[in-house]
Amino acid sequence: MAIAGPVEALMAVALVGAFVVFLAPDDSAGRIATLVSLVPVAGSLWMYAVFDGSGNGLLGGDLAFESSAAWIALGRYEVAWHVGLDGISLPLLLLTTVLTTLALVSSWTPIDERQSQFYGLVLLMEASLIGVFTALDFFVWLVFWEFVLIPMYFLIGVWGGPRRKYAAIKFFVYTNVATLVMFVGFMALVFGLGDSVSSFDLPAIAQALRTPGELGTFFGIDPGTLRLVAFTLMFAGFAVKVPVFPLHTWLPDAHVEAPTPVSVLLAGVLLKMGTYALLRFNFTMLQETAIANAGVIVAFGVVSVIYGALLALAQQDLKRIVAYSSISSMGYVILGLVAFTPYGFGGATFQMIAHGLISGLLFMVVGVIYNETHTRMVGDISGMADRMPWTVGVFVAAAFGYMGLPLMAGFAGEYLIFQGAFASTVIPAAPLVTGVAMFGIVIVAGYLLWAMQRTLFGEYRLATDYDVSRAPVHDVVPLVVLLALVVALGVQPRLVYDMIQDAVNPLLHGGVLPWW
Amino acid sequence: MAILSEFYLLLSAAVFSIGLYGILTRSNALVFLMSVELMLNAANINLVAFSFHYGNVTGQVFSLFTMALAAAEVAIGIGIVLVLYRNFEDIDVTKAATMRW
Amino acid sequence: MAGVYDFVPAVALLPFLAFVVSLFAGEYMPKRGAEAGIIATAGSLALSVWTLLTVAGITGPATSFNENLYTWVAGGEGAVTLNFGILVDPLSALMLVIVSLIAFLVHVFSLGYMNDEGETGLPRYYAGLGLFSASMLAFVFSNNLLMAFMFFELVGLCSYLLIGFWFREAAPPSAAKKAFLVTRFGDYFFLIGVVGVFATFGTGLFAPVEGAETLASFPELAEEALAGSAEEAGVNTFGYDPGTWFTILGLLVLGGVVGKSAQFPLHTWLPDAMEGPTPVSALIHAATMVAAGVYLVARMYGFYALSPTALAVIALIGGFTALFAATMGVVKQELKQVLAYSTISQYGYMMLALGAGGYTAAVFHLTTHAVFKALLFLGAGSVIIAMHHEENMWTMGGLRDRMPVTYYTFLSGSLALAGIVPFAGFWSKDEVLFEALIHGLGSEGAIGTLLLVGYAMGLVAVFFTAFYTFRMVFLTFHGEPRTDTARDPEPVRWNVKGPLTVLGIGAATVGFINMVPVAEVTGREIDYLHKWLAHGDISVTTTEHYGELLHTFAGVDPAELGPVAPGAVSLVLALAGVGAAWKLYNVPDPEEHTDKLGGAKTVLMHNYYLDEFQVWLATGVTVPLARAADKFDQGVVDGVVNGISSVSLFGGSRFRRIQSGVVTNYATLMTLSLVLLLVVFVVAGGVV
Repeated sequence: MAIAGPVEALMAVALVGAFVVFLAPDDSAGRIATLVSLVPVAGSLWMYAVFDGSGNGLLGGDLAFESSAAWIALGRYEVAWHVGLDGISLPLLLLTTVLTTLALVSSWTPIDERQSQFYGLVLLMEASLIGVFTALDFFVWLVFWEFVLIPMYFLIGVWGGPRRKYAAIKFFVYTNVATLVMFVGFMALVFGLGDSVSSFDLPAIAQALRTPGELGTFFGIDPGTLRLVAFTLMFAGFAVKVPVFPLHTWLPDAHVEAPTPVSVLLAGVLLKMGTYALLRFNFTMLQETAIANAGVIVAFGVVSVIYGALLALAQQDLKRIVAYSSISSMGYVILGLVAFTPYGFGGATFQMIAHGLISGLLFMVVGVIYNETHTRMVGDISGMADRMPWTVGVFVAAAFGYMGLPLMAGFAGEYLIFQGAFASTVIPAAPLVTGVAMFGIVIVAGYLLWAMQRTLFGEYRLATDYDVSRAPVHDVVPLVVLLALVVALGVQPRLVYDMIQDAVNPLLHGGVLPWW
Repeated sequence: MAILSEFYLLLSAAVFSIGLYGILTRSNALVFLMSVELMLNAANINLVAFSFHYGNVTGQVFSLFTMALAAAEVAIGIGIVLVLYRNFEDIDVTKAATMRW
Repeated sequence: MAGVYDFVPAVALLPFLAFVVSLFAGEYMPKRGAEAGIIATAGSLALSVWTLLTVAGITGPATSFNENLYTWVAGGEGAVTLNFGILVDPLSALMLVIVSLIAFLVHVFSLGYMNDEGETGLPRYYAGLGLFSASMLAFVFSNNLLMAFMFFELVGLCSYLLIGFWFREAAPPSAAKKAFLVTRFGDYFFLIGVVGVFATFGTGLFAPVEGAETLASFPELAEEALAGSAEEAGVNTFGYDPGTWFTILGLLVLGGVVGKSAQFPLHTWLPDAMEGPTPVSALIHAATMVAAGVYLVARMYGFYALSPTALAVIALIGGFTALFAATMGVVKQELKQVLAYSTISQYGYMMLALGAGGYTAAVFHLTTHAVFKALLFLGAGSVIIAMHHEENMWTMGGLRDRMPVTYYTFLSGSLALAGIVPFAGFWSKDEVLFEALIHGLGSEGAIGTLLLVGYAMGLVAVFFTAFYTFRMVFLTFHGEPRTDTARDPEPVRWNVKGPLTVLGIGAATVGFINMVPVAEVTGREIDYLHKWLAHGDISVTTTEHYGELLHTFAGVDPAELGPVAPGAVSLVLALAGVGAAWKLYNVPDPEEHTDKLGGAKTVLMHNYYLDEFQVWLATGVTVPLARAADKFDQGVVDGVVNGISSVSLFGGSRFRRIQSGVVTNYATLMTLSLVLLLVVFVVAGGVV
């Protein structure tokens, strides 16, 4: 097994690029950063083309681009550098690299001070995000997981809106405390496994936890309770990132204050860290517990869907609308995960990609309008279609994508989740619960159509003193690229779905699961 | 006949207590500094006494280090006292209470 | 077999191509993108006709086609595979021709209505029309429920784009939003139904796909499950009795139908949708969006025929909507509003027919209605051009002499709508009522009674239909011109008169494809549509099969009754309606008689306050609920978060007072702590 491979190369490019950009002059930083970020895009596309992994990376599947090297020993636990890709991580890696590049391009217009630092931080974040989605050793993973917060904190706190400090600190403290909670839960499991594991290698831990009888007592807690405690702590920790009701309140503040390109990455990639971790940890390692408590978990998912959508309906700020609707969309992912069916897991993972692209697109298009009007309040704008026809065209397309219009990626994700959840034998009263959650698609149509009617159509009117003109080409190009991706994945979900399905199927077999 | 180790410890304890009493009751910075030195030297006595008791020179070596450190500490301490006097026209430690929240 | 079926996907792909071309290159074309749409829909029409002829066996042996062409998602591991496929049987072949014909004519008409009127944004308009036609055509030839749902939704998107075409005004965007939202509400139930069907049967196929391994269709599996046991058929009924569960699924899917086909209570979007350009209204009402709902019921009729409850619900919704909408049409003052309510009412008839087991009658009425409603809307469009976009009928009058082509074609359409022999609407509406009557009389138990109730409502609606139709004709074309514009209307060109003429002739003659009463009387077999739908390669989508299902599972049977007497009854009622309109409105200076209705007029003008009710549901219930949720979120949920941070801030502000800054205090604290620690160690027994 190689000591270093393409994954490290991508990280290194982003990392070195970040430092180069830090030192670059402000007026060329954006261009340099974009060019640098094209390397990870090309690299991840190449990895997609030659991907030869199969099965689930944590459950003994064949990993692609795996590399590993001994690192340090903590007590009797070995910490190793271990990265690799399976069918779940590769699509998320692609999402990260593609969305980073597009976010960089969309920053050219709105970011007009401290450019070199801004672009450097974004590249730094890309490097750590690549780490999160590829690391296979808990220690390495945790370092990247935490490191993501640092550039994000500065990106919100320095380039944000009027309440940026409040939002940045809230974001940082909230998610940091969540990590602590999650860490306690996971370490309890590791210690509970006792001599079964001698490293923080995630595949080894996952497989040990799925072997009946391996988990011992820890701190006098019997294995069954230990699983429940660890599951609860880890779920709470990851739920903050997703975010799941009632741990979501950092999100709207962070989104509203963050500059648009940062919102794109926040909604597009950072939220997926939460669901990715839920899939990798809770729903891979502690399936028994998840199944036994499916009723409670699904309630969190369904409440997030409906509650998030209702909140979005009450907002006046376009970014806040999209922020709350993210809570709603991510609730579907929880619903899919807890279903324990092929389409449930597959759809949930696909929805991560789909929502990443569509919410990124919607934030970006709101940003383009904001660049021209300098307001995001629904009441301040009307008739934008008159002045920015193509941008508004993309807005309408993106909004319909968000509503789950067929032949766009969002529909595929949501439909597969519904299909998976409806037939679930794990969720109590699955058809009814699924039906309730699906009502989200009506509310989402309600608030997006309402917001569009008031801002995009009608007579042209603008409350701020800006001369609105058509958006520059480099603002529109990322929109078009994203829209094309959304449509491509909607028409042919198998572009990524086949590898996702291949990677999630092993979750339904073996381990401590009952016969199904 | 050698002196029993217990007497060294008693001496050390007495010196330490005198130093502690000085720190807790006096507000003059110079007396304060002297009290600290007393406590430090009480520890030195212990080091040397145990070193002698066990026939191991490590303790004595360490007491030499401590003395060198004490000298440096006094130099810094006197410097602080001088600054204190310059700023407050006094060397009363209870008056210089602004280094807090 | 390389033949026409290889080209069926092109029926939808051509208009889609036109959408792309118009959108991106329309600016640079002389007619702003209309060329692409016209060529594409003409191509679709040609292919559809060829398909129809092939299915009919005129170009060779009669065939049909049902294959999966494209795997959308393959689940593996026992999860269902989701495919795109094409089903061409007599029903879809007929519908393809209707849709592409209307789409083609609407494109041509748009040259006159949009281009000649100097509208801007035409590439967007033609792109929308292209996508609309493409989605509808793809919906028509879908071979499974999921694919049908997907294109059903795309149809909804296109209606949004086209109804809101004039986005600079206030009303069209609002109407577009309402149209999408109300139909979305219906589609919500439809989507649950789709998911449920796939979860229940493991397939969404409308008809079995023959191949190396025959893939069964869900209506067949449902039939097996009802006949035998659910496990044998491999059907998961989620713990319900199969009959109950299938009824639930059927009613869920019906939600989408009620939304799109504008049936009570989700019909409210349709009159508002008149804010769109008139050719779009023609397309929506005659052949695409509204027709999609009824077509869907016909498409999966093998499933509905298994459930007497679902049939009764369909029939009652249909009958009630037919009557309900017709009464509202009576008082409207605007030309297009009258037509809008007539559409709702006519689709109610189709639903009534489907619910009553009159599958052929429903398809027949769908066909004739497509022709005469497209005609009426295009005719209305012609009048609107002439009147400089004034739509109130009270400002018209006397247009008969000034625009004869429009008048005579419009009259042909009106006679068809009113159901006057021998125009198309007479034959189809008569058959709808006839089927409802005989099945109502012939069926045992509750369903028979319910069908008779539906029939009664449909029969009463005949009178109202004839009345409002001719009220409209007389007010618009007869009498004296009431305004200067009506005295000197703007002339219309060939591109308006051409489509009107084609459809005008159609409205008069298309009924001849299925003259059941004449066939009965003369004993000659000229009920071609019956024969067309009765047989076919795919036996499970034939009316023969549906008849068996209705008899075996739903207990719906026809009574022995000739078609002549019921036909005469409805004709008399229709003539009475025309007569009443003649007496009241065919005078040189007609006056509004609506005031004589008293309080009823207010209720009718407000559409029975259903719009108000739905708006109240949205703004009076949902929005306050959302505001309350927002308050809760900001106050309670976020309040707790901010509360925790306040507590720690406050705690810190108190706790820091230990830091007095006095060195002596620190020393005391340290000493005390050390002593405390020693005491603890002593008590605890020392350090281990």
